[in-house]
Amino acid sequence: MASLSTTTSTAAGESLRSFAGLRRETRILRGVAAADAPGSQLRRRQLGVVRASRTSPRLNGRKLRVAVVGGGPAGGSAAEALAKGGVETMLIERKLDNCKPCGGAIPLCMVEEFGLPLDLIDRRVTKMKMISPSNVAVDIGRTLGPDEYIGMVRREVLDAYLRERAAEAGASVINGLFLRLEQPEGPGGPYRIHYNEFSPAGGGAGERRTAEVDAVVGADGANSRVAKSIGAGEYEYAIAFQERVRIPETKMEYYKERAEMYVGDDVSPDFYGWVFPKCDHVAVGTGTVTHKADIKKFQAATRLRAKDKIEGGTIIRVEAHPIPEHPRPRRVLGRVALVGDAAGYVTKCSGEGIYFAAKSGRMCAEAIVEGSENGSRMIDEGDLRKYLEKFDKMYWPTYKVLDVLQKLFYRSNAAREAFVEMCADEYVQKMTFDSYLYKKVVPGNPLDDLKLAVNTIGSLVRATALRREMEKLTL
Amino acid sequence: MPMMALLASPHPPTIFRALSCKRNHLRPRITSPPPSLLLLTARNLSLVLARSADGSADAADGNMEKKDEAVPPTPRPLESERNKQPHQQQQQYHHHEIRDGSVVKTQALKFEDTRWVGGTWDTRQFGKNGRTDWDAVIHAEASRRKWLEDHPEASSMDEPVIFDTSIIPWWAWIKSFHLPEAEKLNGRAAMIGFFMAYFVDSLTGIGLVGQTGNFFCKTMLFATVVWVLLIRENRDIKNLKKLFEETTMYDKQWRATWQDDAPGDSKK
Repeated sequence: MASLSTTTSTAAGESLRSFAGLRRETRILRGVAAADAPGSQLRRRQLGVVRASRTSPRLNGRKLRVAVVGGGPAGGSAAEALAKGGVETMLIERKLDNCKPCGGAIPLCMVEEFGLPLDLIDRRVTKMKMISPSNVAVDIGRTLGPDEYIGMVRREVLDAYLRERAAEAGASVINGLFLRLEQPEGPGGPYRIHYNEFSPAGGGAGERRTAEVDAVVGADGANSRVAKSIGAGEYEYAIAFQERVRIPETKMEYYKERAEMYVGDDVSPDFYGWVFPKCDHVAVGTGTVTHKADIKKFQAATRLRAKDKIEGGTIIRVEAHPIPEHPRPRRVLGRVALVGDAAGYVTKCSGEGIYFAAKSGRMCAEAIVEGSENGSRMIDEGDLRKYLEKFDKMYWPTYKVLDVLQKLFYRSNAAREAFVEMCADEYVQKMTFDSYLYKKVVPGNPLDDLKLAVNTIGSLVRATALRREMEKLTL
Repeated sequence: MPMMALLASPHPPTIFRALSCKRNHLRPRITSPPPSLLLLTARNLSLVLARSADGSADAADGNMEKKDEAVPPTPRPLESERNKQPHQQQQQYHHHEIRDGSVVKTQALKFEDTRWVGGTWDTRQFGKNGRTDWDAVIHAEASRRKWLEDHPEASSMDEPVIFDTSIIPWWAWIKSFHLPEAEKLNGRAAMIGFFMAYFVDSLTGIGLVGQTGNFFCKTMLFATVVWVLLIRENRDIKNLKKLFEETTMYDKQWRATWQDDAPGDSKK
């Protein structure tokens, strides 16, 4: 709770600048006002002006009811935070042992922020190998401290753990398939959700049920039904293709603490191919937005590039999944909010989504808890928009930087060569890992930044020059 | 989609690539059969390899049936997995056959060059009049990359690539890439500068010396230099425009959430 109030107070401070934020953040201020004396005079005056929550009616004799659809990291953490905040929460998950095709990398700060037990982490990756189109390999991670690593988790384990915690906090976890959502009849009326509840014994399509809730959190992934039901609009998506390969023990040794990223037009025209270590096997995959129909060709190329290291392996599973490229045009409507992949929070360049999903779920839940005063009042769209505002403010720079990186360096083989060359630089590695592991953009040393800029331009110029020479060769 | 177009542009059509590859006499000293026979031999090679790797003719036969299955005979489990998803690509992308054929060649013919030693160019072999001929190194590396683009190779732990383009001194790059164009750019900048100076003089009466002391004129001079450097050909303008659209698209996608918000802000 302590960390919660500090973050809200900073968010409120920043919001003074934008007028849109001004009216929305005011309610948070009430909780904080006592704590910070200096600005409180000014802020209290503003409080007098806007009192959105006063208009929202008290719920008599019951708690606010919220349905969380989807039990991944986003849904799990949202349900936990809601239940802890005194909201009556139900979590609907269609498959409780679902193992989603996913890289499964989580940053260090997630372990801390979400209090994850360390035995959830199968592997600790400390070496990241980047391999350029001409097979120049660079080990990233030399700058990592002894306690720093990228955690690799199995999604079925992580998701189950987060759901369990939600259940412990008081949320009721339902194994069911969400069908559709009925809009409320009047303002303040309940949403009616329809779902099939599966019997614990399993089998059959399940039993049709409906429930009335006051708000809905859509955490049901890329093919979100909740998003569809509020007309949230589409996003562009990348398709990720992945094969789980069990390789001989001797070869596994190489991947003990190492993950590989292959870049090149052969592997993917706009993303990268990867070999990620899992608990007892490796995941070999690739992704693309622009050339989806060619994905199998890219996968074959990835396999070829990693051939020496995965030779003799058995494919135990093949999976594919859409990955959102940008947020949906609408992420909140009425008392329905989208979080995680359903909203579209996956970064470009690295394709990371678990942390942002969990974080957005929690932020959304916190906004609901706060708006409803621990479940005692009705909420409205304004409360949910507060979560959007906070999320965008906090992570927009991260998303933007990664988008720029992707556009700059995944553009052509020449740019990729330059990218890998650049990654050999220790300063780059330090900055990359710091921002990845701790999700904070730490300002660097200006002198080093300048050096980096010069080196990057140098690398790009050289690579482009070589590219021109190559073009001459063909013609 | 501007982004698609830009991302797609680096690939020349594969057919061209394959064609040019055939009459590519620049390929560094690789002992190979005549190009016209390459595809054929390559396919045969794959069969031979499959047999030797698996020790059974069945796998090899299976391999022959599926044309686009030319990716080399990795052990059987991988192979059988691939069997589950045959053909699909073949119809959509006819030129695949050529490409896949070349993948096989990679296995048969690795990139080889007597000057490529231990994962780097042996600069001692590039000597010319007692000095290293950097142009030749640049040329050799370009042809290696070109080769690898057409015939991707497995990254190897035993033979890492340690060649780094930064070992080629900066003046070598300038000499072989910038100088040929520098003449043109220089002339262009000088002409623009001259006429600008003429017009400014005739309009304002400030002479050339006066202009060089003027902050505004200095800024204009800088802008001209940047302009000449950035826009060398007409298509550069289009590229820059595309680049701008591309960089702003992501912002628009994120901002979409807030668009319906601005007018409706007061209604809540």
